[in-house]
Amino acid sequence: MKNSGRLSLWERYLSREISIEFKACLYFFCVLFYYGVYRLCTGRNTAELLHMAEMILLCYAAGYLQVYVLWNFDEAEKLGKKETAGLVICMLIYTAGSWLFNWLDRSIAATAGFAAWTAVMFFSAFLVYRYRRILDDKKLNEDLKIFQARGGESAT
Amino acid sequence: MIVRIIQADGAEAEVTVKYAALTPEVESVIAFLQGKNVTLSGKTEEGTVQLKAEDILYIETVDDKTFACTADEVVRLDSSLTALMEILDGISFFRCSKSMILNIDKVERLKSLPSNRIDATMAGGEHILISRTYASDFRKRIAKGGR
Repeated sequence: MKNSGRLSLWERYLSREISIEFKACLYFFCVLFYYGVYRLCTGRNTAELLHMAEMILLCYAAGYLQVYVLWNFDEAEKLGKKETAGLVICMLIYTAGSWLFNWLDRSIAATAGFAAWTAVMFFSAFLVYRYRRILDDKKLNEDLKIFQARGGESAT
Repeated sequence: MIVRIIQADGAEAEVTVKYAALTPEVESVIAFLQGKNVTLSGKTEEGTVQLKAEDILYIETVDDKTFACTADEVVRLDSSLTALMEILDGISFFRCSKSMILNIDKVERLKSLPSNRIDATMAGGEHILISRTYASDFRKRIAKGGR
């Protein structure tokens, strides 16, 4: 067996870091979108750079927490109790961040909407990851059948 | 039987068996090429047995002892997993974790798991986890159909 494709400890660490990076970018974009819509709805067509910096830093911090502490719930096989708890905790962190950093002018209605938005965002990410695995299952099983058939065909 | 051996730079190793009738001689050549002639020697409660590699579902190391599992028996082998992979590498066996080798031909279904791990359901219904360390190698192995 060739070992060239086997992941080293460093590669596994790097792959996890990239996954956190990807999550941070994805969730930052979703948060920024809500923030942008809120700003437009309240008659402002500019975004605060400081708010954006706070958002991306919060997304990174929450990404680390999510992957290393909260069972990486959006990539989980199913949304069980602990994964749902992880989702709610992250939703609360984002909501608390929006309140603390005053992204939404501490408006209760906008903050409640933001909480719902983050819950939908995490749930959508969970569905996307799950669907990607379903597609991956199909490819893996097709490859497996071809692999096994090659052995059988060569005997006929 | 005519045997032609051609060396071609950059070509993938390929063996074509051309025959008019499937004689025992041809069958034995095909069996050899498919690694069906590989047998391992092991011990059960009844004594020493010869085990065909193609019958093995997986080989596992538990407490520094190596066991080969078939559909109906567990045989203790004397060799280590590393030594066994030297023998079985050319056929459909794959090292799927530090302590296990599985026979890809005996895998019934694969399931992609979070964190790039793979769950393999064997012919006997057992589930074997291909860890993320080995999963990418496994994907490459079955994707290219390399045996």
